[in-house]
Amino acid sequence: MFIPFFQLLRDQGVPVSLRHVLEFYEALEKGLAPDPDRLFILLRLTCVKKLEHFDAFEQTFAAYFLDAGHGSVPRLTRDFWESKAFRRWLEEEVRRGAGAEEDLARLPLEDLLRRFWEVAVKQAGKHEGGHTWIGSGGTSPFGHSGSEREGVRVHGESVHRSALKLIEARRYVDYAATATLRAENIRQALAALKHMVPAGPATELDVEETVNRSSRNGGEIELIFRRELRDRIQVAVLLDNGGSSMVPYVDLVKLVFAKMRDQFRDLDYYYFHNCIYGCVYSDPQRRAPYPLHQLLRRDPETRLIIIGDANMAPAELLLSNGAIDYFSKLRVPGREWLLQLRSHFPRSVWLNPIPRSRWSRESATIKSIGQIFPMEDLTLSGIRQAVDGLNAGGAPRGYRGVREAKEKGSLPRSG
Amino acid sequence: MRFLGTDRYYLNPELREIVNIAIAMEKPLLVTGEAGTGKTQLAFEIARALGLVLEEARCKSTFKGEELCYVYDTVLRLNDSRFGTRDSGRDVNNIWDYLRFGPIGRAFQAEGRCVLLLDEIDKTDSDTQDNLLDVLEDGSFIIREINYKLKAKQKPITMITSNAKRELSDPFLRRCYCHHIPFPDMEEMTRIVRLHYSKIPAPLLDAALPTFYRLRQMGFEKPPATGELLDWLGALQLDGVTRPVDRGRILHLGTLLKRAQDLLKYKSRESSGA
Repeated sequence: MFIPFFQLLRDQGVPVSLRHVLEFYEALEKGLAPDPDRLFILLRLTCVKKLEHFDAFEQTFAAYFLDAGHGSVPRLTRDFWESKAFRRWLEEEVRRGAGAEEDLARLPLEDLLRRFWEVAVKQAGKHEGGHTWIGSGGTSPFGHSGSEREGVRVHGESVHRSALKLIEARRYVDYAATATLRAENIRQALAALKHMVPAGPATELDVEETVNRSSRNGGEIELIFRRELRDRIQVAVLLDNGGSSMVPYVDLVKLVFAKMRDQFRDLDYYYFHNCIYGCVYSDPQRRAPYPLHQLLRRDPETRLIIIGDANMAPAELLLSNGAIDYFSKLRVPGREWLLQLRSHFPRSVWLNPIPRSRWSRESATIKSIGQIFPMEDLTLSGIRQAVDGLNAGGAPRGYRGVREAKEKGSLPRSG
Repeated sequence: MRFLGTDRYYLNPELREIVNIAIAMEKPLLVTGEAGTGKTQLAFEIARALGLVLEEARCKSTFKGEELCYVYDTVLRLNDSRFGTRDSGRDVNNIWDYLRFGPIGRAFQAEGRCVLLLDEIDKTDSDTQDNLLDVLEDGSFIIREINYKLKAKQKPITMITSNAKRELSDPFLRRCYCHHIPFPDMEEMTRIVRLHYSKIPAPLLDAALPTFYRLRQMGFEKPPATGELLDWLGALQLDGVTRPVDRGRILHLGTLLKRAQDLLKYKSRESSGA
C-alpha cells in the first residue's frame, strides 16, 4: 500500500491531495504501473506538479522504497554496495541460493542494481495487505542498456537509465525550493499587489453600450470600446542580494520574490549590491551585468520595485568614486543613478525589509534614499501603501531631489 | 493507443511513458522546459504517430480563454443586421452562423479523438488559465449567448507547453500532469542530431558537441539550444569542414550566439585567453 508514502511526501513539503491519491489508484487499476520504473513515473506524474518539488519527490521515493534514509541518496557506485538496504537484499539473495556473494559481486553493478531495485520496490509496495500492483514480467520501459545495440556511440556514462539512475542524477536539485513557506501575512500582502490599476488599451467591444448608442442613433452603428479589465502591468524588480547587511533579510525577500512571480504579465528581476551604479545584474550571482541605460529605455509606465535595506556606507551613495560606471568609466555617485531611475520611472517604490521603526537608527542612507524613492517596509500595510503609491504614479510627496536635479540638469545622461 | 515515438523525433523513454500514462488517464499533459527541448514538436509527433488530427492553439497574452472555445462575432452580426447579408449565406436570425469555433471547440466537436495543443500557455494570464480549467476537465463548455452546453464527443489528448516564464496557477497545475524536460545530454543530443542529419560524419559531431555544451555553460544571455546546434552543424556540413574549430576559432559562431552582447562577451573571453 502506498498511503504512508503519500504521507511522507506531504511531510517533505510536496502538497499531495486526496484527489491525487485517488487518481493514482485509478491508474493502478488500469495497470499503468507494471514495473518499478513505471511506478516511479506514475507516482511522480500524479503527485508532483511543480518543478521545485521534483527533487523532494525523488528523495522521498528513494527513502521510502529503497530505505535509503533522508539526505543519503543511493549512488550507483561502490558506495551503494555498502548501503544497509542493499546488503540486506544481497544476503537475502544469497540465502535464496542465487549464488555466493563473491559470484554476485562479479556481476555488472548495473544488473545487480536492477534486480535489487525491482525486489525492493515490489516489497515496499506490498506492505500491508499485499496489493498486487506489479504485473507479471513487466519489462522495463528503459530497456537494458539498449542503445549500444543500436549502434549509437555512447558518450560519458552508461545509457542504462532506470528510475534509480534518474533519482541518483538529481536532475532537479537546482530547481528545488528549499525555503519553506511561512509568514502567512506575506501571502495576503502580495494579494494586495494584484490591485494594480489595469492600463490596457480600449480594445474590447462593449456590446450593450454599442446597441444602446446605435439605437439612439437611429440605427447607425456606433461602436463603443472599453478597456479590458486585466493586468497588463510590466514590473521590474531590483533586488539587493549581496552584502552581510542583507543576509538576515534574504529569506524574507526571497519569499516575497517567489510569491510575486505569477502576478504580472511581464516581470523581470535584476540584482544589485547595496547601491545601484551603472548597471544591475540579470543573475543572482551578479555575474551578468545589465547596463542601467538599457533599463532606462524601458517603458516609463513600468513599475519599478526596489527591494533592499538601503543600508550602506554614505560614501557609496554620495561620493563619485563610490563605484565606477561600468561602461563609460564616468564617475557618478550612486545617488545620481537612483535619481535617474526615479525620474524615468514615476511608478517606483523602494521596499525595505527593515521595519520602519528602526530606519532612523539603522543608517543615515535610509533617509537619503527615502527622499529619492517612496520607501515602505515589508509589512502588510507597507506593501499596501506601496501598491497605492504605484497606482497613483508620480511623486505624491514631492521628491525634492528629483526636481532639483532636473532643474540643475545634473542628471547623468543615459546611454 | 500507445505512442512510441516516430522516425524523426527522439523520444526519451521516460517521456514516452509519461505521454502514454497521460493518454490512458485522459489528463492534460503540461510540458515545460527550455526552448529546443521539443515541447511543441511532441504534440505534432503524437498526432502524426497515432494518425490523429491536431488542433493547435498558440496562446497570446490577449487570450481570455473563451476564444479558444468559440467566438461570437457580434460585429459581423450587427453589420449584417444593418446592411443585410447579401449572398454570404448567413442568416441574421440564426446565431450559429455567427459562432466561430476555436481549437478547443473544434477538438470537442470532432468525430474522432484529436490531439489538442495549447502552446505556451504561460503567455496567458492566470484568469485565462482558470477559465480553461473546467473546460478541459469536464470536456465541455457553455456558449453563453444561447446557454448551450457543448460537450466533447471524445476528450482530446491535451498537450500543454509552457516556457515557465511565469508560474501557472496552482489549481491549473493540480489538474494536469506536469513534466519538465531537462535539456538533452550529449548522448541524447547525438541521437537528436542524427535524426536531422543522418549522414553527419562522426568525428565532426564528436568534436562539435563538447564545444556546444561548453558554450552553453558560459552564461550567455541566450545560451545556444538545440535549434542553434542544428543550424551550426548544418552550416559546418555545407562548408565540408571536418573540424568545428579552426585555430581556436569556432566556425560559424553566429549560428550559435544570436545576441550581439553574447558575441562580444565570447570574443572578449577568447581574446583574454580564457
